[in-house]
Amino acid sequence: MTNDNQIYFEDVELGDEIGPLEKVASDQGVIDFCTLWGNPIPNRFTSEEEAAKAKLSGPIVPGVMSMSLMAQLITDWAGPAALKDLDVVFRQPVPHNKPLIMTGTINDSRQEDGENIIQCDVLMTGTEGERYIIGTALVSLPSRS
Amino acid sequence: MALELEYDRSLYGKEHEAGPFEVTEDMIISFNQSISQAGPCYNNKDAAVEAGYRGIIAPPTLCTLFVRRVQLPDINLKFGKTRFHGGQRVQAKAPIVAGDSISASSHLKEVYAKTGRSGTMVFIVWETTFTNQLGEVVADVQESYAARE
Repeated sequence: MTNDNQIYFEDVELGDEIGPLEKVASDQGVIDFCTLWGNPIPNRFTSEEEAAKAKLSGPIVPGVMSMSLMAQLITDWAGPAALKDLDVVFRQPVPHNKPLIMTGTINDSRQEDGENIIQCDVLMTGTEGERYIIGTALVSLPSRS
Repeated sequence: MALELEYDRSLYGKEHEAGPFEVTEDMIISFNQSISQAGPCYNNKDAAVEAGYRGIIAPPTLCTLFVRRVQLPDINLKFGKTRFHGGQRVQAKAPIVAGDSISASSHLKEVYAKTGRSGTMVFIVWETTFTNQLGEVVADVQESYAARE
Protein backbone atom coordinates (compact mmCIF):
# COMPACT_ATOMS: atom_id res chain seq x y z
CA MET A 1 0.00 0.00 0.00
CA THR A 2 2.49 2.57 -1.12
CA ASN A 3 2.40 5.48 -3.56
CA ASP A 4 4.78 7.97 -5.13
CA ASN A 5 4.61 10.29 -2.12
CA GLN A 6 5.16 7.52 0.40
CA ILE A 7 7.47 8.30 3.30
CA TYR A 8 9.75 5.41 4.20
CA PHE A 9 11.28 4.49 7.52
CA GLU A 10 14.77 5.13 6.14
CA ASP A 11 13.78 8.66 5.06
CA VAL A 12 13.18 10.03 8.54
CA GLU A 13 15.59 11.15 11.22
CA LEU A 14 15.22 12.14 14.83
CA GLY A 15 14.29 15.80 15.06
CA ASP A 16 12.54 15.87 11.68
CA GLU A 17 9.38 17.92 11.70
CA ILE A 18 5.96 16.91 10.41
CA GLY A 19 3.62 19.58 9.09
CA PRO A 20 2.56 22.21 9.79
CA LEU A 21 -1.00 21.36 8.88
CA GLU A 22 -3.54 24.14 9.29
CA LYS A 23 -7.24 23.46 9.79
CA VAL A 24 -10.28 25.44 10.86
CA ALA A 25 -13.22 23.90 12.71
CA SER A 26 -16.17 25.86 11.32
CA ASP A 27 -19.48 26.32 13.12
CA GLN A 28 -21.15 24.09 10.54
CA GLY A 29 -18.40 21.47 10.78
CA VAL A 30 -18.95 21.27 14.56
CA ILE A 31 -22.73 21.00 14.11
CA ASP A 32 -22.26 18.23 11.54
CA PHE A 33 -19.81 16.42 13.80
CA CYS A 34 -22.14 16.65 16.82
CA THR A 35 -25.04 15.36 14.73
CA LEU A 36 -23.02 12.35 13.63
CA TRP A 37 -21.75 11.85 17.17
CA GLY A 38 -25.31 11.81 18.50
CA ASN A 39 -24.82 14.77 20.81
CA PRO A 40 -28.16 16.63 20.96
CA ILE A 41 -28.04 20.19 19.60
CA PRO A 42 -27.88 22.85 20.98
CA ASN A 43 -25.02 22.05 23.31
CA ARG A 44 -21.87 23.76 24.60
CA PHE A 45 -20.14 22.93 21.32
CA THR A 46 -22.70 24.68 19.13
CA SER A 47 -24.46 27.36 21.18
CA GLU A 48 -23.30 30.58 22.89
CA GLU A 49 -25.98 30.16 25.57
CA GLU A 50 -25.10 26.55 26.37
CA ALA A 51 -21.40 27.42 26.39
CA ALA A 52 -22.07 30.27 28.85
CA LYS A 53 -23.94 27.85 31.12
CA ALA A 54 -20.80 25.70 31.13
CA LYS A 55 -18.75 28.84 32.00
CA LEU A 56 -17.03 28.87 28.63
CA SER A 57 -16.32 32.06 26.72
CA GLY A 58 -17.95 30.60 23.60
CA PRO A 59 -18.76 27.30 21.88
CA ILE A 60 -15.78 25.00 21.71
CA VAL A 61 -14.66 22.19 19.44
CA PRO A 62 -15.35 18.75 20.98
CA GLY A 63 -12.23 16.93 22.11
CA VAL A 64 -12.99 13.96 19.89
CA MET A 65 -13.27 16.29 16.88
CA SER A 66 -10.03 18.11 17.75
CA MET A 67 -8.31 14.77 17.99
CA SER A 68 -9.67 13.79 14.58
CA LEU A 69 -8.20 16.98 13.12
CA MET A 70 -4.91 16.17 14.81
CA ALA A 71 -4.83 12.64 13.38
CA GLN A 72 -4.78 14.14 9.89
CA LEU A 73 -1.34 15.56 10.54
CA ILE A 74 -0.10 11.98 10.63
CA THR A 75 -2.33 10.35 8.00
CA ASP A 76 -1.67 13.13 5.46
CA TRP A 77 2.06 12.61 5.99
CA ALA A 78 2.40 8.86 6.34
CA GLY A 79 -0.70 7.29 4.77
CA PRO A 80 -4.24 6.33 5.71
CA ALA A 81 -3.44 3.32 7.90
CA ALA A 82 -0.08 4.46 9.29
CA LEU A 83 -1.28 5.90 12.59
CA LYS A 84 -1.00 3.24 15.30
CA ASP A 85 -1.42 5.24 18.47
CA LEU A 86 -2.42 8.81 19.20
CA ASP A 87 -2.44 9.90 22.83
CA VAL A 88 -3.43 13.50 23.52
CA VAL A 89 -4.05 15.85 26.43
CA PHE A 90 -6.54 18.66 26.01
CA ARG A 91 -4.76 21.67 27.51
CA GLN A 92 -7.35 24.35 26.83
CA PRO A 93 -10.63 24.75 24.94
CA VAL A 94 -10.28 24.73 21.14
CA PRO A 95 -12.20 27.59 19.48
CA HIS A 96 -14.34 27.56 16.34
CA ASN A 97 -13.42 29.49 13.19
CA LYS A 98 -9.77 30.10 14.06
CA PRO A 99 -6.68 28.61 12.46
CA LEU A 100 -5.51 25.48 14.28
CA ILE A 101 -1.91 24.67 13.50
CA MET A 102 -0.69 21.14 13.94
CA THR A 103 2.93 20.08 14.00
CA GLY A 104 4.95 17.04 14.96
CA THR A 105 8.56 16.31 15.86
CA ILE A 106 10.09 12.86 15.52
CA ASN A 107 11.78 11.81 18.74
CA ASP A 108 12.35 8.08 18.33
CA SER A 109 12.46 5.36 15.71
CA ARG A 110 12.59 1.66 16.37
CA GLN A 111 11.55 -1.75 15.14
CA GLU A 112 8.83 -3.33 17.21
CA ASP A 113 7.03 -6.62 16.54
CA GLY A 114 8.28 -6.57 12.96
CA GLU A 115 7.06 -3.03 12.30
CA ASN A 116 9.07 0.13 11.68
CA ILE A 117 7.79 2.54 14.30
CA ILE A 118 8.29 6.29 14.45
CA GLN A 119 7.39 8.11 17.64
CA CYS A 120 6.65 11.82 17.57
CA ASP A 121 5.46 14.62 19.79
CA VAL A 122 2.42 16.33 18.33
CA LEU A 123 1.03 19.74 19.08
CA MET A 124 -2.00 21.83 18.16
CA THR A 125 -1.55 25.56 18.63
CA GLY A 126 -3.32 28.80 17.74
CA THR A 127 -1.79 31.65 15.79
CA GLU A 128 -0.79 33.40 19.04
CA GLY A 129 1.01 30.29 20.26
CA GLU A 130 -1.87 29.02 22.41
CA ARG A 131 -1.18 25.35 23.16
CA TYR A 132 -4.52 23.64 22.75
CA ILE A 133 -3.48 19.99 22.55
CA ILE A 134 -0.25 18.15 23.20
CA GLY A 135 0.42 14.49 22.67
CA THR A 136 2.37 11.61 21.28
CA ALA A 137 1.86 9.56 18.14
CA LEU A 138 3.22 6.21 17.03
CA VAL A 139 3.40 5.73 13.28
CA SER A 140 4.19 2.63 11.27
CA LEU A 141 6.21 3.23 8.11
CA PRO A 142 7.19 0.83 5.33
CA SER A 143 10.83 0.06 4.66
CA ARG A 144 12.58 0.61 1.34
CA SER A 145 14.17 -2.82 1.64
CA MET B 1 0.67 12.38 51.86
CA ALA B 2 -1.19 10.46 49.17
CA LEU B 3 -4.77 11.51 48.58
CA GLU B 4 -7.22 8.80 49.66
CA LEU B 5 -9.72 8.66 46.80
CA GLU B 6 -13.28 7.70 47.52
CA TYR B 7 -15.20 6.11 44.62
CA ASP B 8 -16.96 2.91 43.66
CA ARG B 9 -14.12 0.41 43.30
CA SER B 10 -16.55 -2.43 42.67
CA LEU B 11 -16.69 -1.20 39.05
CA TYR B 12 -13.23 -2.59 38.33
CA GLY B 13 -13.40 -5.75 36.26
CA LYS B 14 -16.89 -5.08 34.92
CA GLU B 15 -17.42 -4.75 31.18
CA HIS B 16 -20.12 -2.49 29.76
CA GLU B 17 -21.09 -3.41 26.23
CA ALA B 18 -22.84 -1.66 23.36
CA GLY B 19 -23.45 -2.15 19.68
CA PRO B 20 -22.98 -3.52 17.18
CA PHE B 21 -22.72 -0.26 15.28
CA GLU B 22 -22.96 -0.33 11.51
CA VAL B 23 -20.24 1.66 9.78
CA THR B 24 -21.59 2.84 6.45
CA GLU B 25 -20.00 4.68 3.55
CA ASP B 26 -22.34 7.59 4.25
CA MET B 27 -21.19 7.74 7.86
CA ILE B 28 -17.52 7.77 6.88
CA ILE B 29 -18.06 10.43 4.21
CA SER B 30 -20.10 12.62 6.61
CA PHE B 31 -17.36 12.25 9.21
CA ASN B 32 -14.76 13.23 6.60
CA GLN B 33 -16.77 16.28 5.56
CA SER B 34 -17.13 17.53 9.12
CA ILE B 35 -13.37 17.46 9.68
CA SER B 36 -12.31 18.21 6.07
CA GLN B 37 -10.62 14.83 5.80
CA ALA B 38 -9.30 14.29 2.29
CA GLY B 39 -7.56 11.20 0.97
CA PRO B 40 -8.72 8.72 -1.67
CA CYS B 41 -8.85 5.66 0.59
CA TYR B 42 -11.20 7.49 2.94
CA ASN B 43 -13.51 8.82 0.23
CA ASN B 44 -13.38 6.63 -2.88
CA LYS B 45 -14.19 2.94 -2.89
CA ASP B 46 -12.24 2.17 -6.07
CA ALA B 47 -9.13 3.84 -4.71
CA ALA B 48 -9.48 2.01 -1.40
CA VAL B 49 -9.92 -1.37 -3.10
CA GLU B 50 -6.96 -0.66 -5.37
CA ALA B 51 -4.90 0.05 -2.26
CA GLY B 52 -5.84 -3.37 -0.88
CA TYR B 53 -8.75 -2.60 1.45
CA ARG B 54 -12.20 -4.24 1.41
CA GLY B 55 -13.82 -0.82 0.86
CA ILE B 56 -13.61 2.80 1.97
CA ILE B 57 -11.71 2.90 5.23
CA ALA B 58 -12.60 5.08 8.19
CA PRO B 59 -10.15 7.62 9.58
CA PRO B 60 -8.51 6.10 12.68
CA THR B 61 -10.50 8.24 15.13
CA LEU B 62 -13.99 7.48 13.76
CA CYS B 63 -14.56 4.88 16.48
CA THR B 64 -14.46 7.67 19.09
CA LEU B 65 -17.98 8.57 17.89
CA PHE B 66 -19.24 5.35 19.47
CA VAL B 67 -17.53 5.59 22.86
CA ARG B 68 -20.30 7.58 24.49
CA ARG B 69 -22.96 5.20 23.23
CA VAL B 70 -21.77 2.81 25.92
CA GLN B 71 -23.83 3.45 29.05
CA LEU B 72 -21.21 3.95 31.72
CA PRO B 73 -22.08 4.11 35.40
CA ASP B 74 -21.18 7.00 37.70
CA ILE B 75 -18.15 6.00 39.75
CA ASN B 76 -19.38 8.23 42.61
CA LEU B 77 -16.07 9.98 43.00
CA LYS B 78 -16.06 12.17 46.09
CA PHE B 79 -13.75 14.83 44.76
CA GLY B 80 -13.98 18.12 42.92
CA LYS B 81 -16.72 20.36 41.63
CA THR B 82 -15.66 20.64 37.98
CA ARG B 83 -15.17 17.84 35.48
CA PHE B 84 -13.85 18.02 31.96
CA HIS B 85 -12.53 15.84 29.17
CA GLY B 86 -8.84 15.72 29.98
CA GLY B 87 -7.43 13.53 27.27
CA GLN B 88 -7.95 10.71 24.85
CA ARG B 89 -5.94 7.90 23.33
CA VAL B 90 -6.73 5.88 20.23
CA GLN B 91 -4.75 2.77 19.43
CA ALA B 92 -5.62 1.63 15.93
CA LYS B 93 -5.25 -2.13 15.54
CA ALA B 94 -6.82 -2.74 12.13
CA PRO B 95 -8.65 -0.62 9.55
CA ILE B 96 -12.39 -0.06 10.04
CA VAL B 97 -14.02 -0.51 6.64
CA ALA B 98 -17.41 0.61 5.31
CA GLY B 99 -19.81 -2.25 5.85
CA ASP B 100 -18.20 -3.30 9.13
CA SER B 101 -20.27 -3.89 12.21
CA ILE B 102 -18.34 -3.03 15.36
CA SER B 103 -19.09 -3.73 18.98
CA ALA B 104 -17.81 -1.83 21.99
CA SER B 105 -16.82 -3.08 25.42
CA SER B 106 -15.76 -0.57 28.09
CA HIS B 107 -14.27 -0.91 31.54
CA LEU B 108 -12.90 1.35 34.21
CA LYS B 109 -9.15 1.31 33.69
CA GLU B 110 -7.85 3.52 36.49
CA VAL B 111 -8.55 6.44 38.77
CA TYR B 112 -5.59 8.46 39.99
CA ALA B 113 -4.69 11.84 41.44
CA LYS B 114 -2.04 14.21 40.17
CA THR B 115 -0.88 17.42 41.82
CA GLY B 116 0.56 20.27 39.79
CA ARG B 117 0.88 24.04 39.95
CA SER B 118 -2.87 24.52 39.73
CA GLY B 119 -3.63 22.06 42.53
CA THR B 120 -4.78 18.48 42.61
CA MET B 121 -6.80 16.84 39.87
CA VAL B 122 -8.24 13.35 39.77
CA PHE B 123 -8.33 11.47 36.48
CA ILE B 124 -10.92 8.82 35.66
CA VAL B 125 -9.87 6.64 32.73
CA TRP B 126 -12.29 4.39 30.82
CA GLU B 127 -11.00 2.00 28.18
CA THR B 128 -13.15 0.79 25.29
CA THR B 129 -12.21 -2.04 22.96
CA PHE B 130 -13.86 -2.16 19.53
CA THR B 131 -14.21 -5.49 17.72
CA ASN B 132 -15.49 -6.02 14.18
CA GLN B 133 -17.84 -8.69 12.85
CA LEU B 134 -14.85 -10.95 12.14
CA GLY B 135 -13.89 -10.94 15.80
CA GLU B 136 -10.88 -8.75 15.06
CA VAL B 137 -10.01 -5.98 17.53
CA VAL B 138 -9.91 -2.80 15.45
CA ALA B 139 -9.19 -0.19 18.13
CA ASP B 140 -8.71 0.54 21.79
CA VAL B 141 -9.80 3.97 23.00
CA GLN B 142 -9.01 5.48 26.38
CA GLU B 143 -10.95 8.51 27.53
CA SER B 144 -9.72 10.47 30.51
CA TYR B 145 -11.99 12.75 32.51
CA ALA B 146 -10.46 15.14 35.01
CA ALA B 147 -12.06 16.35 38.23
CA ARG B 148 -10.72 19.56 39.69
CA GLU B 149 -11.08 20.91 43.22
